[in-house]
Amino acid sequence: MNRSILAGLIQLVVTAVVAAAVVLIVLIPFALLQPAPLAVLTSFLIGPLDSVRHIGNIAEVATPIALTGLAATVIFRSGLFNLGTEGGFFLGGLAATAAVLLLPLPGFAAPLLAVAIGAAVGSLACIVPGYLRIRHDASEMVTSLVLNYAILFAGIFVLNYVLRDPAAGAMMSYRIPAEARLERLLPGTRLNSGAIIAVVACLAAGVWLFMTRPGLNLRIIGASPGFATHLGLPAGRIVMAAQVAGGLIAGMAGAIEVLGLYPRFSWTQLPGLGWTGIVVAILARENPFLVLPAALFLGYLQVGGNILSQEVGIPTEVVGLITAAIMLTVTASAIFQNPKLLRLIRRFRRAEVQPS
Amino acid sequence: MTSMLELLTDPALFATVLRVMTPLLLAALGVLISDRAGVFNIGMEGMMLSGALSGVLVSAWIGSAWLGLLAAVLLCAAIGALMAIIVNKLGAHLIITGIALNLAASAATTLGLFFATGDKGMSGSLKSGVLPSIRLPVIDQIPVLGTLLSGHHVLTYLALLAVPVVSLLVWRTPFGLHLRAVGVDAKSAAAAGIRVARVQMLALMLSGVFGGLAGAYLSMGYVSWFAQNMTAGRGFIAIAVEVMGAASAWGTLAAAVVIAIAETLAITMQSLGLPNELMQMIPYVVPIVVLTFWASRRRALARIAQLS
Repeated sequence: MNRSILAGLIQLVVTAVVAAAVVLIVLIPFALLQPAPLAVLTSFLIGPLDSVRHIGNIAEVATPIALTGLAATVIFRSGLFNLGTEGGFFLGGLAATAAVLLLPLPGFAAPLLAVAIGAAVGSLACIVPGYLRIRHDASEMVTSLVLNYAILFAGIFVLNYVLRDPAAGAMMSYRIPAEARLERLLPGTRLNSGAIIAVVACLAAGVWLFMTRPGLNLRIIGASPGFATHLGLPAGRIVMAAQVAGGLIAGMAGAIEVLGLYPRFSWTQLPGLGWTGIVVAILARENPFLVLPAALFLGYLQVGGNILSQEVGIPTEVVGLITAAIMLTVTASAIFQNPKLLRLIRRFRRAEVQPS
Repeated sequence: MTSMLELLTDPALFATVLRVMTPLLLAALGVLISDRAGVFNIGMEGMMLSGALSGVLVSAWIGSAWLGLLAAVLLCAAIGALMAIIVNKLGAHLIITGIALNLAASAATTLGLFFATGDKGMSGSLKSGVLPSIRLPVIDQIPVLGTLLSGHHVLTYLALLAVPVVSLLVWRTPFGLHLRAVGVDAKSAAAAGIRVARVQMLALMLSGVFGGLAGAYLSMGYVSWFAQNMTAGRGFIAIAVEVMGAASAWGTLAAAVVIAIAETLAITMQSLGLPNELMQMIPYVVPIVVLTFWASRRRALARIAQLS
């Protein structure tokens, strides 16, 4: 086996081991509080894999966070800490709902057009902070944080005054027509054709980032803006393009989530899947090819948490704790820049250069 | 229009501005201290949430609102210390640590509430304490001034007092000098013999103290219960307030007043029949406009300085 691939795999293996350790460390205290600790662990760890339905659920949960993770990946690669994916996700879902309810979309193309409209409108959440940063030097992190909430309230306004179904009791939109919904792939789950879009998008983005010239330019700018300027790259335009692309993906994710899962639009809080996307991007080390496994792993944790809350009565929020701990350990340079680990990797590389 | 005028000249309006301003000002001062030390605390939202829950739980448990406040402050200072260890010892990314803290706090407070009350949404079943409002002894007697200045929440006065204290701490004390040195250039500060990690840990702990106060105000002053994710983005507005105030204590006070007035107008105009949701946007849109204005002015000034 090729030793340089092996060397690259070491980081992955360490990441997996660290993630597994975090899951156990967070989960065991909660398990010990219950009468049957072992049952807690098995239903959390084995439960998500014990039936086709549960595996379908994992893919269903992984679909939106793979896309928001991809959005965060593209944006982070440009070197900006634009946190607008959360707002973009919300706005994309809302705009797609508005499109199918208000516009006379042709039946067969309705889902596709609605997703496209959702993506376009949702991208504003990332474009505005990006523009204000590039054009006016305003901190994209701060503006995107508060813009997310401005978008939330604007969205609730539209929901309440334009889309709301007065007959529905709670605040929710009119019913989304069946022909505008995304196709379900697996009976018994809500896995839909959006999952296919997510897989294709991640693979395409990986090819774009690592095998094309624009992708290379983006990586150069993110890694070293000074070097990019000396090369004569149009930094502003490339960074802006990344914000637009990330925003489009985040908006698309929201549109797919609403049209794929829900009969009506009813978000009156930020759904939080944009934040989870940031975790996915970090876990995938901002590599689009690794976004899918990272999203599936977090989906597996979420389904495990859901099973836990149904069977044992531990709230599914435990997963939030695990996710936060994974975020910290996976970015910890004490683990991943550890001299011992780096030496091990170097030894593998050297062994390849000088075959003994 | 007359009703609008009546509303705007109502002394209760002033009280509302102070009520809305208090948590923002406290939290923003906390962000300021961390920012000055180069460890921008984006986890303020999570700290406030933890402070709000611990205040309610401990005060219901022990029966003293003041001990609840103390618990909130101590817990958030401990969270600040933990953040510093994670960033400086474990080497995790600062901003990601803050985001993780927000995620963890949202999850942990929900779990904590659930295990304490059996309810994931609200702490209504707990008999938690409320911190008192204070009547100022002499000023209380003066006709107009008395109603304006006296009778506000104890943490409101504390927040206003904290502005000069933080300003003095940052600009007029040896610790403040170290704080700013570390924030401007950590490596040079270390070379000059300042213990960077220790200063940053103290800064984040102080930041936590303010986060705890802000959180306790929300659940033991603004309202008298804890609700899931009750901070509702206030920690993020506080960050925007601190940046609007250009990381100075008095500037932060000015920015907090502006945002509080915007939010109060939003609350008042709701009663005039304007759409509630659009009004709620205002405190989130104002920082974006002000920040952009400041930043582009700074850039223009820098360009002029370069030309001359």
